[in-house]
Amino acid sequence: MRRENAGQIRILEAFFSALVIFSAFAVSSNIPVSQNVSRSSDLASIGMQALIKLDFDGSLGRYIDDGNWTGLREVLGVVLPEGTSFNLTVYNEQMVQLNSAVISNSEFGSQTVTCAEYICVSQRSAFHSYIVRLYLAMAA
Amino acid sequence: MRKISTFRKDNSGQLLIVAALVIALLISSTTVYVYELGKETEVTDTQRLDDFVFAIKQATHNAMISSLANVSNEGNSVALTTNLYKLAEILRTMNHFAVCNLTFTPLNDSTYNSGVWLSWNTPGLGVTSAYSDFTLKAYTTETSVESNYAVNVTTEIMVNGFYTQLNSTEKLVNLTAVIYDEKGPVLAKNMSIQYENAGEWLTVDSSNSLSITDYGNGTYSVSFIVSTASETIPVSAHIFDLRNVYVRANTTCFST
Repeated sequence: MRRENAGQIRILEAFFSALVIFSAFAVSSNIPVSQNVSRSSDLASIGMQALIKLDFDGSLGRYIDDGNWTGLREVLGVVLPEGTSFNLTVYNEQMVQLNSAVISNSEFGSQTVTCAEYICVSQRSAFHSYIVRLYLAMAA
Repeated sequence: MRKISTFRKDNSGQLLIVAALVIALLISSTTVYVYELGKETEVTDTQRLDDFVFAIKQATHNAMISSLANVSNEGNSVALTTNLYKLAEILRTMNHFAVCNLTFTPLNDSTYNSGVWLSWNTPGLGVTSAYSDFTLKAYTTETSVESNYAVNVTTEIMVNGFYTQLNSTEKLVNLTAVIYDEKGPVLAKNMSIQYENAGEWLTVDSSNSLSITDYGNGTYSVSFIVSTASETIPVSAHIFDLRNVYVRANTTCFST
């Protein structure tokens, strides 16, 4: 009886082996994607929270109103975690770029770049709103 | 030797079952791990949407401050509504990671008109305020959120005082002014004092020996000397808070 079933067991073993191999492929292909998405979302969230923090007392709007791009770059360097590369662009309501100087701390390399988009309303009595795009990457 | 061989043959099925169990365990644990990773990503997306909603709330708050600073400083009374419409329109057209729709209802009641309340004639009290309800709906491909909230921006001044007769014409006026915003006492960015003499409002300056003491907690003590024959001295305190919102309050000083 056992000898007669030996072939069937081999087939079952082969089936299980194939299942294991395909499962491994399926699972391993998902893992890096999930991690990348998670890291990218984390970085975007960090960027958004940094901009919220800067805008809490209207400081972000004041830097933009005054065209103080150097001050904005310096303060961003303080609020963002160490080792974060950033590049910020400020647009007006018509999506015309306002910053005349580059607001960045370093060039982006080959690392993944993520973007946080933020709307900043100035507290000054003349209503001005700005669209701020903060590109972020973790230094390698 | 024979005994061992028999034992192996007898247990080969059990070994297969154990191997299958181990493999099943490996597959299950890997599946659980991947599921947990997926859940973590979902949590991060929710976090991003929460940040996004918070950022929009901050933008509406700043728009309210900007509008109130405008209206209180001889601006257009409909500035609040106009600015909020602009903001809602910009949010609709922005290319966020989320699509959002902001609607608002400025408060209209016995005190607020189109979301703005300027009350500068109550003796000893001045109020400049804006209030509006908001509904924000935001959607991403993964999740959505609806948030109902209200924004109140208020600057208030309470002022009272008295005077001491120095000689036949000169009087020393002492005032106490306390400034609040919607959260509590705040500092003033700028303060000026006027008094009424013979039907004319005059600005108090250094020629009146003006002295302002800032206690650093929103309370200001003001003293100055005026020359007037009147037995009562109407005084007006005008302030801009740190957000450039203007408010004033009048009070009448009597002799101590």
